[in-house]
Amino acid sequence: MTVDVSKIYLLDVATGASVEAELRDAIEQAQLDDWQTKWRPALLTVLQELARRGVPIDQWPQSWHWDWTQKTTRVQGLLAFRGFSVVALGETQGLAQVDLTKTGREANQRGKPLVYVDYLEVAPWNRPELGAAPRLRGVGSALITAAIALSEDEGFKGRLGLHSLPQADDYYRKIGMTDLGQDVAYQNLRYFEMTSEQARAFFEQEGER
Amino acid sequence: MKIERSKEWWMARARREGDAAVGAGLLAFDPVPDERPTTITQTAAAEETRIAFGKFVNLMRRRRGLSMEKLAEVAELDASELLVIENEVHYVPEPRTIFKLAQTFEVSQRRLMQLAGLTAANDAGLRQEAVRFAARSEAMQKLTPEENSALEAFVAVLSEQDPKRAK
Repeated sequence: MTVDVSKIYLLDVATGASVEAELRDAIEQAQLDDWQTKWRPALLTVLQELARRGVPIDQWPQSWHWDWTQKTTRVQGLLAFRGFSVVALGETQGLAQVDLTKTGREANQRGKPLVYVDYLEVAPWNRPELGAAPRLRGVGSALITAAIALSEDEGFKGRLGLHSLPQADDYYRKIGMTDLGQDVAYQNLRYFEMTSEQARAFFEQEGER
Repeated sequence: MKIERSKEWWMARARREGDAAVGAGLLAFDPVPDERPTTITQTAAAEETRIAFGKFVNLMRRRRGLSMEKLAEVAELDASELLVIENEVHYVPEPRTIFKLAQTFEVSQRRLMQLAGLTAANDAGLRQEAVRFAARSEAMQKLTPEENSALEAFVAVLSEQDPKRAK
């Protein structure tokens, strides 16, 4: 399998400097190894600390009945799917898996094919919601960028769909996606879609907002 | 699939992200750490020390050849309370009771409190000793030499006057 590597840049939160990174259009064994040996222990430490401080579960960044064994098995299975990864400083910084068989729900693009982001996760040390200062910023945006680019590549004109984690709703609104409300069929997560117009806006805006 | 964008383009998107979290799909959820094993361990540990406490009172009393009534009299306690202390592992005695028993048996009150489950036994050493003691002693009419030596050893542990433990 040949993997295309795009050169991208992330923001080092501590110094404000740019960090060169790779956006790879695949998830490979190295990423799963990083998930297992680096992400998992880092996240476990944070979650145990939250538990130790007695933070009620509903105030945790995320909660769902999901155990490590189940999650690990599913993550290890990602090799079989189409995905993206962001690698910087020798480590996997973010992962996404996409599904090209879904269609739109939003009124203007109902029934039209889109890229559905089945899974998008950023390394624990880059997640601001976990309480500590994140290391790199822009990992999630890079993965969304990759999904939109794939959608254009596939002739889906940038159309995108995804179920947002509760703490990520604001981000998807910020990048202009349409909030189609909570999806009872999907653990009540909010379903967002990006239209081709919104995708164009996402790509064309050069400066900051 | 290659994506060609300028450094400025990527940096603008990274900045726009700000402190927003980004994640999607059920697989991205963090597993909820299973708290039950710790709770079970803690409960089991508390029960172990509490069992040791009952046995300790029982053996100390018998070593002195005292009936429950007699010990109650000496320690100025209620005989019925002594009965539940020795036989009911879920009964948590009053601090005054512990104070009186510690005085009577001449052992550390702090340690006896931990043993009885009145204060958290964050002392792994004591817990270990308590389990060892409880396992070695059998409630019989007369103290066997084994029970006697088990009791001696445990009294020594309980008599240490609140040592400044590292930590």
